[in-house]
Amino acid sequence: MKQHKTINCKEVMSHICDNLGEDLDSPRCVAIKSHLDECESCQTYFKSVDNTIQFYKKYNVKLSDEAHTRLIDYLGLNDE
Amino acid sequence: MNELELIEKAQLGDKKALSELVKNYEQTVYNFSFKICRDKDKAEHTMQETFMSMVKNIKQFSGKSKLSTWLYTVVSNHCLMLARSSRKHDYAASLDDDDVLIDEKSVADWSVTPDKVTENNELKIILDEAIQKLPADYRIVFLLRDVEGLSTEETGKIVELSIPAVKSRLHRARAFLRNELNQKLKYETA
Repeated sequence: MKQHKTINCKEVMSHICDNLGEDLDSPRCVAIKSHLDECESCQTYFKSVDNTIQFYKKYNVKLSDEAHTRLIDYLGLNDE
Repeated sequence: MNELELIEKAQLGDKKALSELVKNYEQTVYNFSFKICRDKDKAEHTMQETFMSMVKNIKQFSGKSKLSTWLYTVVSNHCLMLARSSRKHDYAASLDDDDVLIDEKSVADWSVTPDKVTENNELKIILDEAIQKLPADYRIVFLLRDVEGLSTEETGKIVELSIPAVKSRLHRARAFLRNELNQKLKYETA
Protein backbone atom coordinates (compact mmCIF):
# COMPACT_ATOMS: atom_id res chain seq x y z
CA MET A 1 0.00 0.00 0.00
CA LYS A 2 1.46 3.34 -1.05
CA GLN A 3 1.37 6.59 0.90
CA HIS A 4 1.37 9.59 -1.42
CA LYS A 5 2.42 13.02 -0.14
CA THR A 6 -1.01 14.51 -0.61
CA ILE A 7 -3.33 11.61 -1.00
CA ASN A 8 -3.83 8.20 0.61
CA CYS A 9 -5.33 4.90 -0.52
CA LYS A 10 -8.67 5.49 1.21
CA GLU A 11 -9.15 8.78 -0.66
CA VAL A 12 -8.19 7.13 -3.95
CA MET A 13 -10.59 4.22 -3.35
CA SER A 14 -13.38 6.64 -2.47
CA HIS A 15 -12.65 8.56 -5.68
CA ILE A 16 -12.77 5.31 -7.67
CA CYS A 17 -16.30 4.68 -6.36
CA ASP A 18 -17.22 8.23 -7.38
CA ASN A 19 -15.78 8.38 -10.86
CA LEU A 20 -14.28 5.08 -11.98
CA GLY A 21 -11.43 6.88 -13.68
CA GLU A 22 -13.53 9.57 -15.38
CA ASP A 23 -12.78 13.28 -15.11
CA LEU A 24 -9.08 12.88 -14.43
CA ASP A 25 -7.99 16.35 -15.55
CA SER A 26 -8.20 18.46 -12.37
CA PRO A 27 -5.03 18.76 -10.21
CA ARG A 28 -6.56 16.52 -7.56
CA CYS A 29 -7.52 13.93 -10.17
CA VAL A 30 -4.02 14.01 -11.64
CA ALA A 31 -2.67 13.24 -8.15
CA ILE A 32 -5.16 10.39 -7.83
CA LYS A 33 -4.19 8.98 -11.23
CA SER A 34 -0.51 9.25 -10.34
CA HIS A 35 -1.16 7.37 -7.08
CA LEU A 36 -3.24 4.78 -8.90
CA ASP A 37 -0.51 4.19 -11.49
CA GLU A 38 1.95 3.25 -8.75
CA CYS A 39 -0.19 1.58 -6.10
CA GLU A 40 -0.95 -2.11 -6.60
CA SER A 41 -3.53 -2.14 -3.81
CA CYS A 42 -5.55 0.67 -5.38
CA GLN A 43 -5.28 -0.95 -8.82
CA THR A 44 -6.76 -4.14 -7.35
CA TYR A 45 -9.52 -2.09 -5.73
CA PHE A 46 -10.23 -0.32 -9.05
CA LYS A 47 -10.41 -3.69 -10.83
CA SER A 48 -12.81 -5.08 -8.24
CA VAL A 49 -15.20 -2.10 -8.58
CA ASP A 50 -15.07 -2.38 -12.36
CA ASN A 51 -15.65 -6.15 -12.16
CA THR A 52 -18.62 -5.58 -9.83
CA ILE A 53 -20.30 -3.57 -12.58
CA GLN A 54 -19.33 -6.05 -15.29
CA PHE A 55 -20.79 -8.97 -13.30
CA TYR A 56 -24.20 -7.28 -13.17
CA LYS A 57 -23.99 -6.16 -16.80
CA LYS A 58 -23.34 -9.69 -18.02
CA TYR A 59 -25.97 -11.37 -15.82
CA ASN A 60 -29.02 -11.19 -18.12
CA VAL A 61 -32.24 -13.17 -18.40
CA LYS A 62 -34.04 -13.97 -21.62
CA LEU A 63 -37.79 -13.54 -22.00
CA SER A 64 -39.31 -16.93 -22.85
CA ASP A 65 -41.73 -17.41 -25.76
CA GLU A 66 -44.41 -18.37 -23.21
CA ALA A 67 -43.91 -15.13 -21.25
CA HIS A 68 -44.10 -13.15 -24.51
CA THR A 69 -47.40 -14.87 -25.38
CA ARG A 70 -48.81 -14.20 -21.90
CA LEU A 71 -47.83 -10.51 -22.28
CA ILE A 72 -49.52 -10.11 -25.65
CA ASP A 73 -52.65 -11.87 -24.29
CA TYR A 74 -52.65 -9.66 -21.18
CA LEU A 75 -52.48 -6.53 -23.34
CA GLY A 76 -55.20 -7.74 -25.69
CA LEU A 77 -52.89 -7.42 -28.69
CA ASN A 78 -53.12 -11.07 -29.81
CA ASP A 79 -55.17 -10.33 -32.92
CA GLU A 80 -52.21 -8.76 -34.65
CA MET B 1 -40.85 2.38 -39.78
CA ASN B 2 -39.00 4.38 -37.13
CA GLU B 3 -40.03 4.64 -33.48
CA LEU B 4 -41.67 8.06 -33.79
CA GLU B 5 -43.86 6.83 -36.66
CA LEU B 6 -44.81 3.74 -34.65
CA ILE B 7 -45.75 5.90 -31.65
CA GLU B 8 -47.88 8.21 -33.83
CA LYS B 9 -49.74 5.22 -35.29
CA ALA B 10 -50.17 3.68 -31.83
CA GLN B 11 -51.61 6.98 -30.57
CA LEU B 12 -54.24 6.73 -33.32
CA GLY B 13 -55.22 3.26 -32.04
CA ASP B 14 -53.16 1.10 -34.41
CA LYS B 15 -52.77 -2.21 -32.52
CA LYS B 16 -50.12 -3.48 -34.91
CA ALA B 17 -47.95 -0.47 -34.11
CA LEU B 18 -48.50 -1.03 -30.38
CA SER B 19 -47.49 -4.69 -30.78
CA GLU B 20 -44.37 -3.62 -32.60
CA LEU B 21 -43.42 -1.20 -29.80
CA VAL B 22 -43.99 -3.95 -27.21
CA LYS B 23 -41.82 -6.37 -29.19
CA ASN B 24 -39.06 -3.77 -29.50
CA TYR B 25 -38.85 -3.22 -25.74
CA GLU B 26 -40.13 -6.38 -24.02
CA GLN B 27 -36.68 -7.94 -23.60
CA THR B 28 -35.17 -4.72 -22.22
CA VAL B 29 -38.07 -4.16 -19.81
CA TYR B 30 -38.09 -7.79 -18.62
CA ASN B 31 -34.33 -7.87 -18.12
CA PHE B 32 -34.29 -4.56 -16.25
CA SER B 33 -37.24 -5.65 -14.08
CA PHE B 34 -35.42 -8.87 -13.23
CA LYS B 35 -32.27 -7.00 -12.34
CA ILE B 36 -34.19 -4.99 -9.76
CA CYS B 37 -36.47 -7.76 -8.41
CA ARG B 38 -34.10 -10.77 -8.83
CA ASP B 39 -37.24 -12.89 -9.27
CA LYS B 40 -38.59 -14.05 -12.65
CA ASP B 41 -42.28 -14.05 -11.62
CA LYS B 42 -42.08 -10.54 -10.19
CA ALA B 43 -40.15 -9.40 -13.27
CA GLU B 44 -42.85 -10.77 -15.58
CA HIS B 45 -45.58 -9.13 -13.51
CA THR B 46 -43.72 -5.79 -13.59
CA MET B 47 -43.21 -6.09 -17.35
CA GLN B 48 -46.93 -6.74 -17.88
CA GLU B 49 -47.95 -3.77 -15.73
CA THR B 50 -45.39 -1.52 -17.45
CA PHE B 51 -46.70 -2.29 -20.94
CA MET B 52 -50.30 -2.05 -19.77
CA SER B 53 -49.47 1.44 -18.57
CA MET B 54 -47.88 2.18 -21.96
CA VAL B 55 -50.95 0.92 -23.84
CA LYS B 56 -53.32 2.97 -21.65
CA ASN B 57 -51.25 6.16 -21.72
CA ILE B 58 -49.62 6.17 -25.15
CA LYS B 59 -51.86 9.06 -26.26
CA GLN B 60 -50.36 11.26 -23.52
CA PHE B 61 -46.77 10.44 -24.54
CA SER B 62 -45.40 13.76 -25.79
CA GLY B 63 -42.11 12.54 -27.23
CA LYS B 64 -40.10 15.02 -25.11
CA SER B 65 -38.17 12.12 -23.61
CA LYS B 66 -37.24 8.80 -25.18
CA LEU B 67 -39.80 5.99 -24.93
CA SER B 68 -37.13 3.84 -23.27
CA THR B 69 -36.66 6.50 -20.55
CA TRP B 70 -40.40 6.53 -19.96
CA LEU B 71 -40.47 2.71 -19.68
CA TYR B 72 -37.50 2.70 -17.26
CA THR B 73 -39.43 5.22 -15.14
CA VAL B 74 -42.53 3.04 -14.99
CA VAL B 75 -40.51 -0.08 -14.11
CA SER B 76 -38.56 1.80 -11.42
CA ASN B 77 -41.68 3.23 -9.81
CA HIS B 78 -43.42 -0.14 -9.86
CA CYS B 79 -40.44 -1.91 -8.29
CA LEU B 80 -40.03 0.81 -5.65
CA MET B 81 -43.69 0.42 -4.73
CA LEU B 82 -43.28 -3.38 -4.41
CA ALA B 83 -40.12 -2.95 -2.35
CA ARG B 84 -41.76 -0.47 0.04
CA SER B 85 -44.68 -2.82 0.64
CA SER B 86 -42.39 -5.75 1.54
CA ARG B 87 -39.31 -4.15 3.05
CA LYS B 88 -37.12 -6.99 4.29
CA HIS B 89 -33.66 -5.47 4.38
CA ASP B 90 -32.47 -2.14 5.53
CA TYR B 91 -28.78 -1.56 5.16
CA ALA B 92 -29.23 2.18 4.77
CA ALA B 93 -27.40 2.89 8.04
CA SER B 94 -24.18 1.13 6.96
CA LEU B 95 -24.40 2.88 3.57
CA ASP B 96 -24.12 6.24 5.32
CA ASP B 97 -20.74 5.49 6.83
CA ASP B 98 -17.89 5.97 4.34
CA ASP B 99 -15.37 4.70 6.90
CA VAL B 100 -17.11 1.33 6.84
CA LEU B 101 -17.82 1.35 3.11
CA ILE B 102 -14.26 2.15 2.04
CA ASP B 103 -11.93 -0.23 3.86
CA GLU B 104 -8.47 0.08 2.35
CA LYS B 105 -7.33 -3.12 4.09
CA SER B 106 -10.00 -5.24 2.46
CA VAL B 107 -8.43 -5.55 -0.99
CA ALA B 108 -7.85 -8.85 -2.79
CA ASP B 109 -7.84 -10.44 -6.22
CA TRP B 110 -11.01 -12.35 -7.03
CA SER B 111 -11.28 -16.02 -7.95
CA VAL B 112 -13.74 -15.54 -10.82
CA THR B 113 -14.11 -13.13 -13.73
CA PRO B 114 -17.29 -11.54 -15.18
CA ASP B 115 -17.19 -13.67 -18.34
CA LYS B 116 -18.13 -16.72 -16.20
CA VAL B 117 -21.53 -15.32 -15.16
CA THR B 118 -23.66 -17.08 -17.77
CA GLU B 119 -22.37 -20.55 -16.93
CA ASN B 120 -22.02 -20.32 -13.15
CA ASN B 121 -25.24 -20.70 -11.12
CA GLU B 122 -23.44 -20.44 -7.79
CA LEU B 123 -22.07 -17.07 -8.88
CA LYS B 124 -25.56 -15.93 -9.92
CA ILE B 125 -26.82 -16.70 -6.40
CA ILE B 126 -23.98 -14.64 -4.91
CA LEU B 127 -24.82 -11.71 -7.23
CA ASP B 128 -28.56 -11.98 -6.43
CA GLU B 129 -27.95 -12.07 -2.68
CA ALA B 130 -25.52 -9.16 -2.72
CA ILE B 131 -27.72 -6.76 -4.68
CA GLN B 132 -30.85 -7.69 -2.71
CA LYS B 133 -29.13 -6.34 0.40
CA LEU B 134 -29.08 -2.89 -1.20
CA PRO B 135 -32.16 -0.72 -0.55
CA ALA B 136 -34.24 -0.57 -3.74
CA ASP B 137 -33.63 3.14 -4.37
CA TYR B 138 -29.84 2.60 -4.35
CA ARG B 139 -30.22 -0.56 -6.46
CA ILE B 140 -32.18 1.30 -9.14
CA VAL B 141 -29.61 4.10 -9.39
CA PHE B 142 -26.77 1.56 -9.73
CA LEU B 143 -28.64 -0.42 -12.38
CA LEU B 144 -29.75 2.58 -14.44
CA ARG B 145 -26.38 4.33 -14.40
CA ASP B 146 -23.82 1.52 -14.40
CA VAL B 147 -25.62 -1.48 -15.86
CA GLU B 148 -28.04 0.09 -18.35
CA GLY B 149 -25.57 2.87 -19.16
CA LEU B 150 -27.88 5.87 -18.76
CA SER B 151 -26.35 9.27 -18.03
CA THR B 152 -26.38 10.76 -14.53
CA GLU B 153 -28.91 13.35 -15.76
CA GLU B 154 -31.27 10.72 -17.24
CA THR B 155 -30.98 8.62 -14.08
CA GLY B 156 -31.82 11.66 -11.93
CA LYS B 157 -34.93 12.40 -13.98
CA ILE B 158 -36.17 8.82 -13.72
CA VAL B 159 -35.73 8.53 -9.95
CA GLU B 160 -36.50 12.22 -9.31
CA LEU B 161 -33.18 12.95 -7.61
CA SER B 162 -30.69 15.78 -8.07
CA ILE B 163 -27.40 15.02 -9.83
CA PRO B 164 -25.40 15.19 -6.54
CA ALA B 165 -27.91 12.80 -4.93
CA VAL B 166 -27.58 10.34 -7.84
CA LYS B 167 -23.78 10.51 -7.59
CA SER B 168 -23.88 9.96 -3.84
CA ARG B 169 -26.12 6.90 -4.13
CA LEU B 170 -24.04 5.52 -6.97
CA HIS B 171 -20.84 5.91 -4.95
CA ARG B 172 -22.36 4.07 -1.99
CA ALA B 173 -23.99 1.35 -4.09
CA ARG B 174 -20.73 0.61 -5.92
CA ALA B 175 -18.72 0.45 -2.69
CA PHE B 176 -21.35 -1.65 -0.91
CA LEU B 177 -21.66 -4.20 -3.74
CA ARG B 178 -17.89 -4.40 -4.18
CA ASN B 179 -17.53 -5.17 -0.48
CA GLU B 180 -20.23 -7.83 -0.58
CA LEU B 181 -18.67 -9.52 -3.62
CA ASN B 182 -15.17 -9.15 -2.21
CA GLN B 183 -16.21 -11.19 0.83
CA LYS B 184 -17.52 -14.00 -1.38
CA LEU B 185 -15.15 -13.96 -4.35
CA LYS B 186 -11.71 -13.11 -2.95
CA TYR B 187 -9.01 -15.76 -3.17
CA GLU B 188 -8.78 -17.54 0.16
CA THR B 189 -5.16 -17.91 1.25
CA ALA B 190 -4.36 -21.26 2.86
